[in-house]
Amino acid sequence: MKNLFIIALLFVFAINRAQGCSDAGICSVGNSFNDVEKETKNNLEFGSIFGSGEADVTYFSPYITYTRKFTNRFALSTKVTYSQAQGNFGTRGQFGDGYLIGNYLWKSKKTAQWSTLLGMKFPFTRSNLKINGYSLPLDYQASLGTFDLIVGSNVSYKKWDFNAGLQIPVYNINANSYFKEYSGSTDFSSTNLFVRKPDALLRATYTYTHSKFTFKPNVLFLYHLGEDTYENIFGKRESIDGSDGLTVNGNLITGYEINKKNSIELSLATPFVVRETRPDGLTRGFTAGIIYKVSF
Amino acid sequence: MKKLFLLTVLIGFTSCQVEGELTQDKIDKPIEATSILKYSGTFIGTSGINASGQAKIYLEGTQYRVKLEGFSVSNGPDLKVYLSKSSSPSEFVNLGNLTSSTLYNIPSEVNVNAYSHVLIHCQQYNHLFAIASLTTIN
Repeated sequence: MKNLFIIALLFVFAINRAQGCSDAGICSVGNSFNDVEKETKNNLEFGSIFGSGEADVTYFSPYITYTRKFTNRFALSTKVTYSQAQGNFGTRGQFGDGYLIGNYLWKSKKTAQWSTLLGMKFPFTRSNLKINGYSLPLDYQASLGTFDLIVGSNVSYKKWDFNAGLQIPVYNINANSYFKEYSGSTDFSSTNLFVRKPDALLRATYTYTHSKFTFKPNVLFLYHLGEDTYENIFGKRESIDGSDGLTVNGNLITGYEINKKNSIELSLATPFVVRETRPDGLTRGFTAGIIYKVSF
Repeated sequence: MKKLFLLTVLIGFTSCQVEGELTQDKIDKPIEATSILKYSGTFIGTSGINASGQAKIYLEGTQYRVKLEGFSVSNGPDLKVYLSKSSSPSEFVNLGNLTSSTLYNIPSEVNVNAYSHVLIHCQQYNHLFAIASLTTIN
């Protein structure tokens, strides 16, 4: 077991190009669908995501998720994220967002199983973390400072899972004050008082099980539904050209079942298509995550 | 007891953070001796705010620069320096964070003649802290 863990860690660090899903919210929607199907009532998940972002920024983003199954059809998940960014501006870390997501499993059909989720994300920061009083771009912020509504649906058909979801910012407390004009860097867009548009998600996952291993290759389509905006130095709101559009990610999840109640997962991902401009700082050059799950 | 625990957890989430050293920033040169002082004004705090010192605008070649001299103001979150067309922040140029550097370059596209005030404004809570009305120096 110890050897397996070491091999998994080495594999994580050996990856030099992969990606991921930018945002812990909508991108992890697929995981929430599965929890209600488990036999135990309580599930805890500890994850650590390592990532590389724009302009040599690297990330360490641990999270914890607790899921409580209330009935055979309904489960509620809570999740807390932390993000530490390190790059040319320095190092900045903070708790990011909290999530509360409910998942309902509909009556099983002969060939397909549907489920629906509804939840929200709430920020622990207003996205204006600074270093020594100097404003930082969103790439260094632990949260975008938005309260989001998350809705989604999943259908399982044989070995396939198909997810669709929406993440809609419903209330914005973003107080970011980064201007590239006054910064020592041209690597990042100005994001003063940033306002973010919603995202739509589609994901297809194939599950292959061999002994105690489970492999879940999946492809994730994210569409950013409009251009984000910021307030320029003249106090006028301005659209950020090219900040809307499609991101396509490939992701491979490898799971190992230690026993009935404990398992670990390794998640690696890479983008095939990215948006022209990515002011939100969510895009990663690669992500590699290791996740431990325990049920009780 | 339960409330106390929840409060502690909440404070933990919002306060547990890492802030390293700033490792990249523009280095602002001091005002050159050959610069020409074009405008000047004395800061007055708004209601309940203490402020003192002066805002001075220098012309350095073709570059206008604002310097805050002998300046102090009551503490506030996310304070900005605005070059404004009036004593309220409605039409302004945001010159950036109020920092210890106290020097601010005015972007070249700005017609400085059209601006009459330097303001200290809290952007996060939209609260005006101090006002300096500018007068032209001959």
